[in-house]
Amino acid sequence: MTFQSVLAQARAEGRTLLNEVEAKELLREAGVPATAATLATSRDQAQSQADAMGYPVVLKVVSQDIAHKSDVGGVKLNLQDRAAVGEAFDAIMTSAKAAEPNARIAGVSVQQMAKQGTEVIVGMTTDPQFGPVLMFGLGGIMVEVLKDVSFRLVPLEAKDADQMISEIKGKPILDGVRGQPPSDLAALRNTILKVSEFVQKHPEVRELDLNPVFAYPDGALAVDARIVVSEA
Amino acid sequence: MAVPGHRLDRMFNPKVVAVVGDKGPNYMWLQNNMPFKERGGTLYSVQLDPKEIEGIEALGVKNVTSMADITEEIDYAVVAVPRQVSHYVLKDLIANKAHGAGFFTSGFAETGEELGIKLQDTLVAAAKEANFNLVGPNCMGLYLPKAGVRFNADAPVRTDGTIGFLSQSGTHGIMFSLVSAANGLYVSRCASFGNAVVLDVSDYLEYLALDDETEVIGMYVEGVKDGRKFFETLKMATARKPVVVWKGGQTAAGARATMSHTGSLAAPQSIWDGMVRQCGAIATNNLDETLDVMKLLTFGKRPKGPRMALLAQTGGQSVSITDAFAKAGLSVPRFSDETYAELGTFFNIVGGSYQNPLDMAGTIQGSMDTLDRILRLLDADPNVDAMAMELSAMFAARQWKKNPESLDKTIDEIATHMARSNKSFVVVLHPAHEAEYVAQIAPKFHARRIPLYQSFERAAAAVARVRAVG
Repeated sequence: MTFQSVLAQARAEGRTLLNEVEAKELLREAGVPATAATLATSRDQAQSQADAMGYPVVLKVVSQDIAHKSDVGGVKLNLQDRAAVGEAFDAIMTSAKAAEPNARIAGVSVQQMAKQGTEVIVGMTTDPQFGPVLMFGLGGIMVEVLKDVSFRLVPLEAKDADQMISEIKGKPILDGVRGQPPSDLAALRNTILKVSEFVQKHPEVRELDLNPVFAYPDGALAVDARIVVSEA
Repeated sequence: MAVPGHRLDRMFNPKVVAVVGDKGPNYMWLQNNMPFKERGGTLYSVQLDPKEIEGIEALGVKNVTSMADITEEIDYAVVAVPRQVSHYVLKDLIANKAHGAGFFTSGFAETGEELGIKLQDTLVAAAKEANFNLVGPNCMGLYLPKAGVRFNADAPVRTDGTIGFLSQSGTHGIMFSLVSAANGLYVSRCASFGNAVVLDVSDYLEYLALDDETEVIGMYVEGVKDGRKFFETLKMATARKPVVVWKGGQTAAGARATMSHTGSLAAPQSIWDGMVRQCGAIATNNLDETLDVMKLLTFGKRPKGPRMALLAQTGGQSVSITDAFAKAGLSVPRFSDETYAELGTFFNIVGGSYQNPLDMAGTIQGSMDTLDRILRLLDADPNVDAMAMELSAMFAARQWKKNPESLDKTIDEIATHMARSNKSFVVVLHPAHEAEYVAQIAPKFHARRIPLYQSFERAAAAVARVRAVG
């Protein structure tokens, strides 16, 4: 899957939003650590993909019309076996259709269940004056309520990524609180720099969200991703 | 020196200046620029109103009623005509092959009204087509103290300025120039550029970055037209010299005010802040902070690390100076064992102490030899990156007034220390009950290039800001 082919496909379908499967595939190819996800359009396909991947897995609805997947019952976590995957597929389809009757649903994404880490967000937006800008923050209320985020313009150097991480107020959380081990800051820096490279290489990218990225004592992993591209 | 070949070079180093449309009784623009004439520059007035010509000629300035009568190329023009005729003046300037002009004229897009926007569009289109260096409009234009070109009659005319200043506001440009001069800091070149519709802040910034007469650059900016160009230019500039960026319109309410002031649209403040830091520039929030940082950068040395040695006169001030510097994010470490061993041989600990901060009045007792001994010890201490020293008007003003030589000796001791030391050094002299007297003696410090501050907090903020960019 190349960026150009995904872009062409999305534009042919009149989409500017790349779905999670597409976004993760492109980001993984660009060296951004993210969980691999595959698109299943049927119950059987979801089950065989899960078998091949190994349990536990996560299923998420894939639809260009659904921005908040969990709000429509579109996310099922920690599925332990084939039967659970089958039930989850049916449940997602039923509740997503009930919540958003007009949504175009492409299927579900199947991916391995990542172990929980400290949640951070790496985002990118296009500022009318400054062009592509990266954002970094801690997940959840730290970003949504406290706006505890830092910004740098693309392209970033290593020192810029380091400053982005160190200047958020919630930085002590990444250093480890209440006996938690510190997060792997080098892995976070690498994630930010790879996103910067990706965005620089593809000016069609208007917005990008890795939300959340799990920061571990050793490594980092994006477990959800979305990309918005410019209109043709 | 100038920057040969740069598109702004002739304008920034003018030999021929024209003032267009100045009016009596004050002839503000001609009066501002008399020093240019006195220094041998060719100054013209362009005014066709017969009522004004007598007053202009009384100033000894040659007036022409048509710009076509000026046969030399104009390097810089000040245009102070009503907005309706501004584009005719621009046409004449372009015909003259003039190198640039500051348009004092206002009433353009910043008004938000249709006529103003239309007149600005006409002006911009003509200037861009001719690649004309239009400063403003809605601005005070250039202040070039070496050439004698000024935007205010109180602005000094000197040849030794090293500070470049750029301002989207005329008031802030003038006020910075005047207040910095009052603090012994002099401007090399300053541009007030208002609506910035042809030349933007990046164009001037590029010139000042390349100009080797300019050692430090400050700016007041409300918004930039081309953010990417500003980002690239600011990065280029900070690689050459320190740059201080004071952003106007940081709040939602302030950003609305910039719209009607200079028609500027502001990027989200958090993106702006990240961009400034990414470029290695120093962000400030007001005139005082800007001046304080420029003072340290011009007079002092940049702190090589965050570790402060703090010298106060009394116990209470020892606590206050420590809180101020620690709150600013700097550290107040223990001195080395060698320093303590040496201090222990002479420091008077009755009513004093020498941990860090030093509470030292009782030890020094007016002896410059003792002060010198302490300063040398701290200068040699490997745990110390920078020093801040309090002088107390409350205790010393009476003595200094009675015996001015004692003040001179103190200043001399500090200046001597600063000259031999590689460590950043700042002095805090609170005006206390002697505001008038302290204002009187401050120039003595500035003349010796001592970074003098009125409060611990302002000194600490300046050190911390400069420290943050390494």
